Amino acid sequence: MKEILLNPQLWSATLAMATPLALPALGGTFSERSGVVNIAMEGIMLIAAFFAVLFAHLTGSAWLGLLGAIVVGMIVAVIFAWAAVTLTADQVILGMAINIFASGFTAYLLNTIFGFSGTPTDTPMLPNINIPVIKNIPFIGQILSGNSVIVYLMIILIFASNYFLFHTNLGLRIRAVGENPEAAETAGINVIKLRYLGVALSGLFSAIGGAYLSIGLLNSFSTDMSSGRGYIALAAMIFGKWTPFGSFGAALLFGFATALSMQLQNSAMSKNIIMMLPYILTVLALVGVGGKSVSPAADGVPYTPKK
Amino acid sequence: MKRLRVVLSLVLAFVLTLSLLSGCTSKTKQQSSQPNSTGQASKNKNFKVGLVTDVGGINDHSFNQLAYQGIEKAKNELGVTVNFIQSKQQTDYVTNLTQFAQQKYNLVIAVGYLMKDAVEQVSKEFPDTKFLIIDSDITDRPNVASATFKTEQCGYLVGVMAGLMEKEKNAKLNDQNVVGVIGGMQIPPVDSYIAGFQQGVKAVNPDTKVLVSYTGNFNDPASGKQMALTQISQGADIVFGVAGQAGDGVINAAKEKNIYAIGVDADQNYMAPDTVMTSALKKVDTATFDTIKSVLDNNFKSGLVYFDLANDGVGYAKPIKDVPQSIVDKVDEYAKQIKDGTIKVSDQVQK
Repeated sequence: MKEILLNPQLWSATLAMATPLALPALGGTFSERSGVVNIAMEGIMLIAAFFAVLFAHLTGSAWLGLLGAIVVGMIVAVIFAWAAVTLTADQVILGMAINIFASGFTAYLLNTIFGFSGTPTDTPMLPNINIPVIKNIPFIGQILSGNSVIVYLMIILIFASNYFLFHTNLGLRIRAVGENPEAAETAGINVIKLRYLGVALSGLFSAIGGAYLSIGLLNSFSTDMSSGRGYIALAAMIFGKWTPFGSFGAALLFGFATALSMQLQNSAMSKNIIMMLPYILTVLALVGVGGKSVSPAADGVPYTPKK
Repeated sequence: MKRLRVVLSLVLAFVLTLSLLSGCTSKTKQQSSQPNSTGQASKNKNFKVGLVTDVGGINDHSFNQLAYQGIEKAKNELGVTVNFIQSKQQTDYVTNLTQFAQQKYNLVIAVGYLMKDAVEQVSKEFPDTKFLIIDSDITDRPNVASATFKTEQCGYLVGVMAGLMEKEKNAKLNDQNVVGVIGGMQIPPVDSYIAGFQQGVKAVNPDTKVLVSYTGNFNDPASGKQMALTQISQGADIVFGVAGQAGDGVINAAKEKNIYAIGVDADQNYMAPDTVMTSALKKVDTATFDTIKSVLDNNFKSGLVYFDLANDGVGYAKPIKDVPQSIVDKVDEYAKQIKDGTIKVSDQVQK
């Protein structure tokens, strides 16, 4: 066991597997804090993952790939917001529709644009960052340095989001809209606009998570490659009590369970039990091991402005 | 407002239907090479072949893609009409198979061990339709042929190559004498590769440690990559991915860490030319093409059809130049011994 815990790969895999959970969880936090239940993160991630590869391939630049993925992800999110906020459609069904659509849509585009041999092997990848000084520290350096640039971006975004949500006026307004939209409107806040903002931000963060999967960790897209991370992210968000730091912590925990299950595969334990680890943890998280978590009061309730 | 909601739900329903259908792109273009007589041509054109892929999908760089290449070849060379549906999840199997059978397709091909129950069910309901299932062992239906690949044999050969490479010295190899294999799901067609690989390595290099891990799925290259990185951190300098699309991540990890990878099913060298030293081949394309031809010629045989080294149904891809000729010769020697039965390869994974 000691040998496993001292293997730096365990910890860098934890970070690598936590990143595509933390980003959509952060996105979900914004959306739900503004009062819109967003389970479409899975679909947005998948669509963004595809467009990241497409734009990276077309432009020859992984950065433009990331940018393209963000733009497309936010477009999908805004369409979601239009249906959920303006047209007050059922948010869960809408999210599900986007997820199913994303799966078929990306598979169709993959075949139509790239043919059956998949995405080109010369697609550029986002760089890994080596941090000077830190990279020379034994053990710690191997974990904290040399990760994908998205991993560091994710950490910055977590801190920035926490500041934005809890220490700025706009953040306070977003939270007000998710708790009590009537009162917020009485105070002169535009509920609809802020809900659009919350959902758009969830699209932004989910898109970065999707791009991380396709051009951060790899340089290819394959069908359904998000493989349920958008849903696990929902669990991380709830476990993290709808806060950026909480979501990040939960994502790290799930990432750690996944990384640990990879390390334990060659131990004496049954492989099937080991592979269950991350999922058992998800269930435990959801039944409230981490204490009671209360969702924003108006979460999932469509709001029609009083005229 | 209410009217808008009705319109919206209709739009949603439409989008849902579209996305479900988007998997089955129709592939019925005009044939470039027509068979000789026009009568024959129109007969073949009316002969319809439907392919149902497993969840890995048609761009999995491995067996679904090979199955598709086989039917494409049949389309071009025999002039038959072909079509395919990609299964999104395991619950789609029955629906997708039924869809082709109902439209009176002459032959329906199910790609994958996981579709066994679905094929048993659907083939009973449509006794006039012929079915081919890849990687399964259905023997009690007169209208079902099961293609079984002795992949433990090609797994053995790439294992021999890996075991011998561990004795070599170059920049990509360390001196820890560890190799790794990463499976997708723990199912027989995956395990037979792994079992063969283990035995092949041990046959030439008994001291080599063979790490065995499973990703638990075939469509998550991100976890495939982390799994490979984990094995590399445990000393592996040759990794063999038997995990469909998840295997893409294995090759990516090997490339990043500058070690060797072994491809699976198809020759995957093009994915990373300096990294993928060889691939264990499983010629699913031969199986689908041959079966289409046999049904067309009224030669269809139900039950098990074996593909092994002897009939060139499995094999290994031409190794890159890092693999010395002496090793390739040795591998060929083992191939000969498997063909003539001197070596029997088990398909059971060693714990």
